[in-house]
Formats: sequence, structure tokens, C-alpha cells
Amino acid sequence: MKILIALTLATLAATAPAAEPVALKGQLRIPEFAALANKASESVNVTLDPQLLGMACRFLNADDPEQADVKKLCTSLSGIYVRSYTFDKDFAYPQADVDGVRRQLSGPGWSRIVGARSNKENTNVDVFVLLDNGKARGLGIIASEPREFTIVNIVGNIDLEELHSLEGKFSIPNLGIETAKKPEPPKPEPPKKK
Amino acid sequence: MSENFENELRRALRPVDAPEGFTERVMRALPAQRDPVLPPVVNQQPAYRLVKRFGIPMAFAAALVLSVLLGMHVARVQDQRMAEEREAAGLAASRELMQALHVTSQKLDLAYQAVKTPPSPAGDEENRT
Amino acid sequence: MPDALLARARAGDAGAFAELVRAHQGSVYSIGYRMLNRRDAAEDLAQDVFLQLYRKLDHIESLEHLGFWLRRVAANLAIDWIRRLPHTTTQPLEEGATVAAPQPEDDMLMSRQLDKLLGELSPSARAVMLLRYQEDLDVAEVGTALDMPVNTVKSHIKRSLTQLRSRMIGAKLVDSEAMP
Repeated sequence: MKILIALTLATLAATAPAAEPVALKGQLRIPEFAALANKASESVNVTLDPQLLGMACRFLNADDPEQADVKKLCTSLSGIYVRSYTFDKDFAYPQADVDGVRRQLSGPGWSRIVGARSNKENTNVDVFVLLDNGKARGLGIIASEPREFTIVNIVGNIDLEELHSLEGKFSIPNLGIETAKKPEPPKPEPPKKK
Repeated sequence: MSENFENELRRALRPVDAPEGFTERVMRALPAQRDPVLPPVVNQQPAYRLVKRFGIPMAFAAALVLSVLLGMHVARVQDQRMAEEREAAGLAASRELMQALHVTSQKLDLAYQAVKTPPSPAGDEENRT
Repeated sequence: MPDALLARARAGDAGAFAELVRAHQGSVYSIGYRMLNRRDAAEDLAQDVFLQLYRKLDHIESLEHLGFWLRRVAANLAIDWIRRLPHTTTQPLEEGATVAAPQPEDDMLMSRQLDKLLGELSPSARAVMLLRYQEDLDVAEVGTALDMPVNTVKSHIKRSLTQLRSRMIGAKLVDSEAMP
């Protein structure tokens, strides 16, 4: 009898699920949307936790100017999670799942810094940051259109200016968020010649 | 030696904070797999000593050496394959990273375009916050 | 912090390992910082220590053992690094390192001066003083950590305290009359 109990306990222990990794501050719970990938005409599904992100950063090519810029970002980031799906039909994606992520972004610490709506094109883009002692520690973006939705979650010390500069088109408006870069001290004026 | 001074020393030598993000940087630097540290092999003996000591026939000793060499070769090939797989995985991860940041930047651009664009006259259906 | 955390880290739980790092990063970094006198080197050293820990998690028996192991490895690694660079002169510690708990101004002044004077001790003596007064190990534990006979540890402590005390009195940071 004792042997049977011991065997049962050992079997249960062996088949017990592994503990889930602890989520980092600023990390959202984003569904995998595995079923959607089959229905989508295009999909981007990226999950880079701290280890994978570290590996990815090590393999960036420092000779490529764009990758070199990204390499500089790497030191301040802890995770990048992207789900982006494009469909051939309108609203082929489950709005409830998107709303589930949106609810997390109304949780403590998260603030919406940009919200854009176009009723004409039926597009919504919301940008959220998680503020911790005045610094941005998490970034959440939810963009939805009738045939496309995108969820982005970036974890770490967020410098929005650096992220946006990858496209290099528009300058960032002053959103009052303290960025990782400190402002450069004013250069001393050269002495006036008499 | 005065206890007072030692206590003052303890107070003055309180630990300092590690820089911000230190844990995250350590986690990023961790290898993908935790290879266990193998104990060092001690008391290795060349093949001929084995033969002399234990009286193993030469043919068997030769077969033993060959199988060890073959094993080493297989291990080397496996190591090389694993290194290539790791490199492939790393390159794939870096491509994913670039793709993720491009998507992010595109969406940020969409949002910031809306912020920078001045509001249209009344009657337009667009609105922004 | 229960030992279950250690078990989870051994099983490959990255979050558990991160918690272990967070719990001990202050100590390990501080040993590096006060031994090497530089923040960047201290961070490199601390990172090396935790990478070693990651590889050797199976050798750690308990959380108590973990704390001792980390201090031992950090101190010995720092001594190695200092000895491998014989031409590196002692530099004053960089400004800006924040102590974990807020200190009165007098203590901060003393702390800075002490950090500077510690830098003038030999690497072994410095390691002894840090393990004894920063990490609060007893004399026997310091000896085990640094592979040093107990009498040598005691001798380092006595000479270092005398030297530090007289320099602090000279800098008028301690009252000579208060010290018998």
C-alpha cells in the first residue's frame, strides 16, 4: 500500500506542470492567437523574452546602421511582444481578445498617452505607457482596423524617441514623459571678440 | 578595538544599489541552455598502461582507442551542429526583433501623425485625443 | 524567500532566477564596487558572478549556502581581477552610487571617506573588511570564503581597523577621545 502511495505521488510530481515564469513589470498577458494565424493573409507573431531578446541583440549586425541603432536600444529593453494580423475580410478577428488586452492597459500604472480615432476609416490607435517613478517601464500599443489588428508590448526602460526614430519620419511631440536620454548640457558660448 | 568604531564602520559600509536594469541585463546575458559543470577527469591513463596493467589483448585495446576517437569525432560534429543551430536561432531572433521594432515604429507613426495633424473644421468625422 | 525558489531556478524557471539575482544583486555589486572602485567594472564583475551561479545552480544546497557562495565568489573574483592588473592604481570611487537605505549627512561623508580609505588597503585586507563589516560574516566564515587561516583574517582586521581609525581621526571624521 505504501509503495502504491509513493508511486502515485511520484507520478503526480513528475507530471505536475512547470511553474509559469514570473511576468516582468510592464509585461502584458497577450494571447497567442494560434487559430488566427491560419485565417490571416499576413501575420507577425514575435515573442522575445529577456533571454531570447539578449540572444537576438547579440546577433545584430553592428555594421548595418539600422541594426546598430537597435543594438543601442537593447541595453534598456527586457522584452518585446508583437501580434499583428491582416485579413481578407472585415472584422475576422475576435474583438473580445483585443479588448482583454485593452482592459489590462487600464490597470494601475498604465496611462494612455495617445489615442487616435478615424470614424471614416474605422481605425483606432492607442498608445499606453506604464509609468514608474516618472519613467516609462512598459509600452502598449493597440491598433485596430476592420481588416487588421496589432498589439505591441515592450518591456524595459522605454525611450519613445529612440523607438520612433527607427522610421525617421516625424519628430515626437512633447508628451511629458521622461525619456532614458538626459538632455545634453548647453554648450558654452565662445568668448565674444572685442 | 572600540566597538563604536566597528559599528560606525558597519553603518558606513551599507551595500550600494546595483545600477537600474541590472537584473534584466544579467538575464539577457544568460546562455540559452544551462550546461552543467562537469567534474574534471582525473587519473587519465594512456592506453599502453592499461594494456600492461590489466593484460588486455592489443586488438581489444586498439578497438577501444578507435571507438574513443570515433566518439570524439561524433561529439565534435554534434558540437559544430549545435553551434550552427544556435547561430541560426540567434539570427532568426534578431530578424524577429527588427520586424517587431518596425511594426512598433509604424504604429507609433500612425498615432503621432494623428497628434501632429491639426484638427479639421467641424463636420469632419476624425477625432483625436 | 523559500527554498522552493531555488528549486524552481534549478528547474529552469527564468523568473525564479531573476528573483534570486534581485535579492542578492546589492551585496554582490557592492563587493565589486568597493573592491574595484569603479561602477562599470563592478557591474561586469557582478554579472560574471551571476553567470557563474547560473551554471552552478545544481551545486547550491540552500538559500543560505547561495548567499555565502555569492559573497565568496564575488570577493575572490575581485581579488583576482585586481591582481591581474598590477598597474591599475586605486582611484577614488565615482560619485553617484546610492546606498540602499537613506543615511544622515554625517554618515554619508564618513561613508565616502571610508570607501576612499578602503581602497588603500591591500586586496586581501579589503576583501576581509568588506566580508566582515559590509556582509557581516563572522571571522571563521570570512576565512572559509577567502581560503585564509582564521588568524590571518584576525590580523588583517586588526591592522586595517588601526589604519582606518587613525586616518579617520586625521580627517576629523571620528572623535579620537571616543576611541580608547
